[in-house]
This record gives sequence, structure tokens and C-alpha cells, in this order.
Amino acid sequence: MENFELLRNVTIGQYIPTGSVIHRLDPRAKLLAASFLILAISFASSILANIIFLIVILIITRISRIDVKYLLRGFILGLPILIFIFVMQFLFMGRAEPAGYVFFEWGWFRITQRSLYIMALSGLRLLSFVFLTSLITMTSTTTELTHGVEQLLRPFRRVRVPSHELALILMIALRFVPTLAEEMENIMKAQASRGADIGTGRMWRPDKAAKAYLPLIVPLFLNAFRRAEDLVWAMEARGYVGGEGRTNFIQLKSRGIDYVVVIAAFLFMIFMMVFPWPSISPILRQIGFMG
Amino acid sequence: MQSSGALSVRRIVITGILAAIAILLGVTRIGFIPVPNLSGNATIMHVPAIIGGVMEGPIVGLLVGAIFGLFSWLQATIPLFKDPLVAVLPRLFIGVTAYYSYAALKNNNEYLALVVGAVIGTLTNTVGVLGMAVIRGYLPLEAVVPIIPQAIAELIIAAIITVAVVAAWKRIEGGREGSTV
Repeated sequence: MENFELLRNVTIGQYIPTGSVIHRLDPRAKLLAASFLILAISFASSILANIIFLIVILIITRISRIDVKYLLRGFILGLPILIFIFVMQFLFMGRAEPAGYVFFEWGWFRITQRSLYIMALSGLRLLSFVFLTSLITMTSTTTELTHGVEQLLRPFRRVRVPSHELALILMIALRFVPTLAEEMENIMKAQASRGADIGTGRMWRPDKAAKAYLPLIVPLFLNAFRRAEDLVWAMEARGYVGGEGRTNFIQLKSRGIDYVVVIAAFLFMIFMMVFPWPSISPILRQIGFMG
Repeated sequence: MQSSGALSVRRIVITGILAAIAILLGVTRIGFIPVPNLSGNATIMHVPAIIGGVMEGPIVGLLVGAIFGLFSWLQATIPLFKDPLVAVLPRLFIGVTAYYSYAALKNNNEYLALVVGAVIGTLTNTVGVLGMAVIRGYLPLEAVVPIIPQAIAELIIAAIITVAVVAAWKRIEGGREGSTV
């Protein structure tokens, strides 16, 4: 029976309330600061810079009073894939040119300065991203994030970005996940009671696998569309009009610290992008790692 | 029914609900159909974006893809998808390419157009994600080879499901005129 219980699995991220400074930040400030950090991490190609990012993220974790254990849990779940990536990089990245210093060569297999650099860089970068996304969902509720997105996009209304509508789409999506999960449960039970045997065993032919899932997927979509039609009619009947002149039940207020955080994150991003990060190879050479 | 701008009430609601399906498929593991390959599963999480694009146009397709991308980024346990350039960026285009390839063929043969739309949309997802992973240096080009069987399985599955869902919905809409409420 546990196959049918979908509702309990539906969580988006995991909010851990510790009431820290980070939790109490204005969601707009938090989103902006996180975006700056993500931008900076995305385009940093220096090992040193990436180590600094990791340290900064760990400091933020400390401030938000979240146990590093929680962060590591997300990391451990993804470990098999990370190992796969590493093995692939280890095997094949040696061919990448310019190779730099060659540590080891055997047939076409090489360990080069470049392959080690790529492995270290992607490892550090992925680790930062894993921790940062976990931090975002652990320190802010989805409602906060949705409202934050809407308010942040508001200035773009002038260039015809429908910020209110986008936020409404997000809210409808979040609102309907549990409803559709419940419906999916009903569909699964209904099909099982008719003797359907779905999702057991491996199908050797993908077309057969797809056809086996149709009795679940098609009713799920059709019921969802029917609900959508209902919601459209309900909104039309109540005279729903978009963002212009609407007021919000939840009013976000920024305090001094929010501005400080945003400005600090922005300056940090600029600094990390502009600073001429030295290569670590001279250091490695110094300690006799490279000939 | 049309409100101001490209987002009518109908489009807002359909986008939201399709995005909800995409999230649901992701968080409950229904979105992973077991087929024999390296990862053991073929994903259908991108199918709502294709269906959104095909049924309601490129904007809906883009927005469903965006929300799908955002959630796969926030939710992913696979470290590869924690890079927003891999997880979010390629997903924006799933519904868009699906719509345009569908629209180009719609007048010749509706079913063929749906199949092609689904195939192109799925290819956008697969090629986009793997391409970004290669460009970003996470995967060497050689590592893409063992993923090809999975990509083919996903193409076939996405095509079958898209055709089944859209055909079923069009039949209901056409058969019961005015009673879709």
C-alpha cells in the first residue's frame, strides 16, 4: 500500500526554523544576495576563489544556525553521480588541450595539470551549489520566496514583464502540487483495483513502458486540465484582473540589515570577479608537487 | 477572456497547473519510468513543458519549463543539476522548440506534428542539459555516449505520452462542446 502514498513525499526543500538573522532577512534581500553569490560562483574559474566561496557559504551556514549535517545529507544523496562524474573526468579529461604539465601517461590515458584542474574546479563548484541551494530552501519558506520574486520583478513591469502574473503562476503551481498528488493517489488506487500492474519490473522496450504508464498519466493530465478550466471560470466570474492596482496581504518590509546584506553581497561578487586570482600551480611547484 | 498582455487568465492557470504536474512528477518518482539503462530510469518530467508549448503556445511552454528548471535545480539530489546554467537555462527552451516544430507541421498532419514536437522538445532538454554539462566541464564528451540509450528511450516515451494526452484532451474538448466546465 505504501506505493500509493504520495502526499507524504511532497515537500519542496526543507524549511528548518531556527529564527536566525538569515531566516529573518527580507526575502527580497535574501534572493538578491543569493543571486549575486550564484552569479559569482558560476563564472569564477579560479580554484582559490572557489575555496573562498565554500568558506563563505559555511560561514553563512554557521550564522543561520543550521547544522552542517543537513547540508551534507543533500551532498551524500548525490554522491554516486558525483563519483560517476569524477571517474569520467579522470578517464577522459586528460585528452583536453592545452594539457599543461603531464603527471602520468600510459597509452591514451593521461593525468594532466588541466584534467586535475577541471576535476577540482567542478568538484568545488558543485559543492558550493549544493550547499547554497539547500541553504536557500532551509532558511526561507516557499511563500516568502514567491512574494520575494514578485516584488523583485515589480520594477520590470515597465518593460512589460508581468511580475504579478508570474508570481500567481508560481503560487498556483505550489498550491496544486498536493491536490494533484491526492488525485494521483486516487488514480493509482482505481487502476490497481481494476487489476492494473503499473511500474513493477523493468520494461525492455521503452514504448511498452510508456504505454504501461498511460493509464496513470493521461487521467492525471485530463483531471488537471479540468481543474484548470474550473479555476479559469471561477476567476473570470469573480472579475479577476492582473497586477495593476492590486494590494498584497503580506507586506514585505526592509530593514537596515537587508540593505547591508545586499550591498555586501554585490561588492563581494564584484570583488570575486575582478580580483586577479593567482594560479595555484606555483604553490604546488614550491612544495614539489610538480616538476 | 483576454486580459492585458500575453498572459490571459487561462494561460496563467494552465501554466500553473502544468508546472504543478512537473513538480509532482519530480518529487514523487512517478516521473521516472524504469527502463534498462545506466541510470535505470527515463524521465518524463519535461513532458508538461512540451504539452504546455504544444497546446498553449511558446510563452506557456517557456514558463512551465522555467518552473520545472527552477525546481529541478532546488530539489535535485544529483550534483550536476545544482549548477543553474545546467538545470534552468536549457529547460526554458523545451516548450518553445516543441511549439514551433509542432506549429510548422500542424496543418499537414496533427499526429505527426505532435510526435515531432515531443521529439524536438525532448531533444532540447537532453542536448541542452548534456551540452551545458560538457561546456561547463563537468562531463567529458566521451561520457555522453553511455547516456544515448536513455535519450532514445526518453524520446519514445515523451512522444507516446504527449500524443496520448493531447489527443485525449482534444477529443473531450471537441466532443462535448461548451460543457468543458
